[in-house]
Amino acid sequence: MKKFLFLSTLLFGVLFFSACKDEEETKDPGTLEVNFDNIAVINNVQQQLSLVTPGSTNYAYTNALGQKFNINLLRYYISAIELDGPNGEHYHDHMEATASGSKGYYLVDESIPASQLILLEDIPAGEYNKITFTVGVDSSGIVNGAAGGSLDPATCHMFWNWNSGYIAVKYEGQSDVSNGGVSGAETVTGDNPHGMAYHIGGWKDIPGGVFVYNNKRLSFTFDTVVKVESKEAPELHMVFDVIKMFGSHHNIDFTGNHNVHKPADGVEVAHNLEHAFDYDHIHQ
Amino acid sequence: MKKLLLFLLVALLFGACQKDELSTGQFRFVKPSHFPEPTYTFDINPVTKEGFELGKRIFGDPMLSRDNSVACNNCHVKAVAFADPQHALSLGVNERQGIRNAPGIANMAFMKEFMWDGGVYHLDFAPPNAIENPLEMDEKMANVVWKLNRNSTYPAQFRAAFPEMGDTITSPFVLLALSQYQTMLVSATSKYDYYKLGKGELSANEMEGLQLFKQKCAVCHSGELFTNQEYRNNGLDTEFADEGRARITESAADLGKFKVPSLRNVELTDPYMHDGRFNTLEEVLDHYAAGVKQSATLATELRQGDFLGIPLTASEKKLIVDFLKTLTDHEFIQDERF
Ligand code: HEC
Ligand code: HEC
Repeated sequence: MKKFLFLSTLLFGVLFFSACKDEEETKDPGTLEVNFDNIAVINNVQQQLSLVTPGSTNYAYTNALGQKFNINLLRYYISAIELDGPNGEHYHDHMEATASGSKGYYLVDESIPASQLILLEDIPAGEYNKITFTVGVDSSGIVNGAAGGSLDPATCHMFWNWNSGYIAVKYEGQSDVSNGGVSGAETVTGDNPHGMAYHIGGWKDIPGGVFVYNNKRLSFTFDTVVKVESKEAPELHMVFDVIKMFGSHHNIDFTGNHNVHKPADGVEVAHNLEHAFDYDHIHQ
Repeated sequence: MKKLLLFLLVALLFGACQKDELSTGQFRFVKPSHFPEPTYTFDINPVTKEGFELGKRIFGDPMLSRDNSVACNNCHVKAVAFADPQHALSLGVNERQGIRNAPGIANMAFMKEFMWDGGVYHLDFAPPNAIENPLEMDEKMANVVWKLNRNSTYPAQFRAAFPEMGDTITSPFVLLALSQYQTMLVSATSKYDYYKLGKGELSANEMEGLQLFKQKCAVCHSGELFTNQEYRNNGLDTEFADEGRARITESAADLGKFKVPSLRNVELTDPYMHDGRFNTLEEVLDHYAAGVKQSATLATELRQGDFLGIPLTASEKKLIVDFLKTLTDHEFIQDERF
C-alpha cells in the first residue's frame, strides 16, 4: 500500500510537471497558404501563363520538340495534402466528400486566381520542410457516391461519366502542328483544324489490376523550414510548368495523340507531372 | 387520472399507427433474406419517404432532357421491369439511336458496377451518363440543376428530403434522390422466390429447368441475382463493333466482354444482349446451343474441347425457358410505390 502511494505520488508529480512544461512551450496551431503558380519556363526564365481565347493562333509557347502551342484552359485537382517537419511534425489536411460539400479536394484553375491559393488551417505549430499531395482525386472521392463542392460533377467539368471518375489534369488549346478533330472538349471544337485536348485521368489503383492509374502522389522538400504558428502567416509557393508537362520524362508530340480522353492515352503526360510540379519558395 | 390514461392510450395508438406505416418497410430499404448484402452506400444516403418520392418524380420528369422530351422512364419502363420494351438500341432526344440496349433497373442496390461495360462505379454516377449523352437526353447536369431550381415545387421538395442541403439544389442531391428511388426497386417476389423461401412450389418442368440452369448457366448467371457480376464474351461475334469491357480496362484481353446480366424478369426485358439482337428467349438458347462464335476472348466456360457453346437438346432448351419465366416478378411491376 505504501508502495502504491509512493508510486502514485511520483506519477502525479511527473504528470503535473510535464503538464506545466507543455503549457510553456505550446504555441497555437497556425495556417499555411499554398500558392499554385502556373508558369512556363522559357530559356530558364519563369513566365506567368497567359490564356488565349479558343481558336487563337497566337502561340506563346514551344515544346521540347520545337512545336508551338497555346492554352485555352488549364485545370487540375490537388488533394490529400500533407506536411512534414524535420522534428517529426506532421499535418494532414481534413478530407471529406459528401453531397453537402467536399473538403481537401482543391480544383486549381488558371482562369480563376482565387483557386490557386489553398489555405491550410489548424496546422500544429512547428517547423515544416516537406509537402506531399495527390494530383487528381483518389477512390476516396468516388466510392461514397455523389459529392458536392469542388467535386460536384455538374460544375467541376472534370468528371468522366462513361468511366466514372475525376480527370486529374485538363489542358485544352492548340498547336500549329496538330491536325485537330478534337472531341469531347470544353473549349475546343471538332472543326478547329489545330485543336488539342489532354484530359489526364485514371484513378483505379488496384494492385495487379489492369487499370491505368494516372493520379500522382508527389513530395517536395523545401530549401528551408517554414515556421507555422498562430502568430505567423507563411506562404508556400509551388509552381506548375506547362513546358515540362509536355516535355520532361517524355516529349509529347502534338502531331499525334493530341485528343486524349482515356487513361491509357494520358500515361506519358501523367508521368511528366512529376517534373511539371515543383517547389519554388517560401515567404515566412 | 382517467383522462391521463385515455390520453396515453391515444398517444400510444397514434404512435403505433405512425410507426406501423414505416415499419412495413414501405419506404425503407429492406434486404430480402435470401439476397446478398447490398453494395449501395446506405450509411451515407439512407432511403427516406421524401427522398424516394423525390427520386421517383425526377425519374419520370422529361425536364432532364435538352428539349424536355425524354425522361428516364422512357427507356426504363416499369411494366417491363424498368427495361426498354421496344427498342433494341435505345432511342433518345430527336429519335437519336443509342449504341446499346437499355437494361432493366431492378436490384441495382446489389450491383458492384453499372452499365454493360461496368464503366460506372457507383449507382449515384449512373444518371449523368443518360443525361449528358448526346444520343440519350443530350442535356448538361448543370442545366438540369438550373431548371430544377427555377421550378415552383422542386426546391421545397428537395429541402424536405435533404434538410442538410441549404437553399439551392445542387447536383449531388439530384443524384442521391435518384439513387434512393432506384435502390428501392428490389425484385424478390417472383414465383421462384416463393419457392426458394419455402412458400410456394415450382411445377415439375420448372424444377427440371432449374436443375438444368444450375448445371449449364449458373457458372455465369449465379446466385440469387443470377449474375456473378463479371465480364464475359458469350460468343456473339468474331469482331467487336462495341469493345465492351475493354473500353474501360483498355486491355485487349477484355474485347467483346460484357457484364453478365441478371436474369430476373428476363421474360419481360426483351430484346436481349447488349445490342438487343435477340427477340426471344428461344433465340438466346439457340445461340448458346449452336450459335457461339470463336474469338480470342471467348469465355472458357463456353469452350468444351472442340465444341463451342453449351450442349442443349430441344427439350432442355424448353425446360430452361420454363424456369426462366418463374423469375418474372408480377408483384414488383405492379408495386404502387414504384
Ligand atoms: C435514351 C434511353 C435512356 C434514358 C433516357 C435513360 N437510360 Fe438508363 N440506360 C440506357 C441504356 C442504353 C443503358 C445501358 C448503357 C450502357 O451499358 O452503356 C442504361 C443503363 C442504365 C443503368 C445501369 C443499369 C445496369 O444494369 O448496369 C442505370 C442505373 C440507368 N440506366 C439509370 C437511368 C436513369 C436514372 C436515367 C434518367 C436520368 C436513365 N437511365 C435514362 C438507356 C437510357
Ligand atoms: C460464360 C458465361 C455465361 C454462360 C455460361 C451463360 N451466359 Fe448468358 N450471358 C452471359 C453474358 C456475358 C451475357 C451478355 C452478353 C452481351 O450482351 O454481349 C449473357 C446474356 C444472357 C441473356 C440476355 C439477358 C439480357 O437481359 O439481355 C440471357 C437470357 C442469357 N444470357 C441466358 C443464359 C442461359 C439460359 C444460359 C445457360 C444455357 C447462359 N445464359 C449461360 C454470360 C453467360
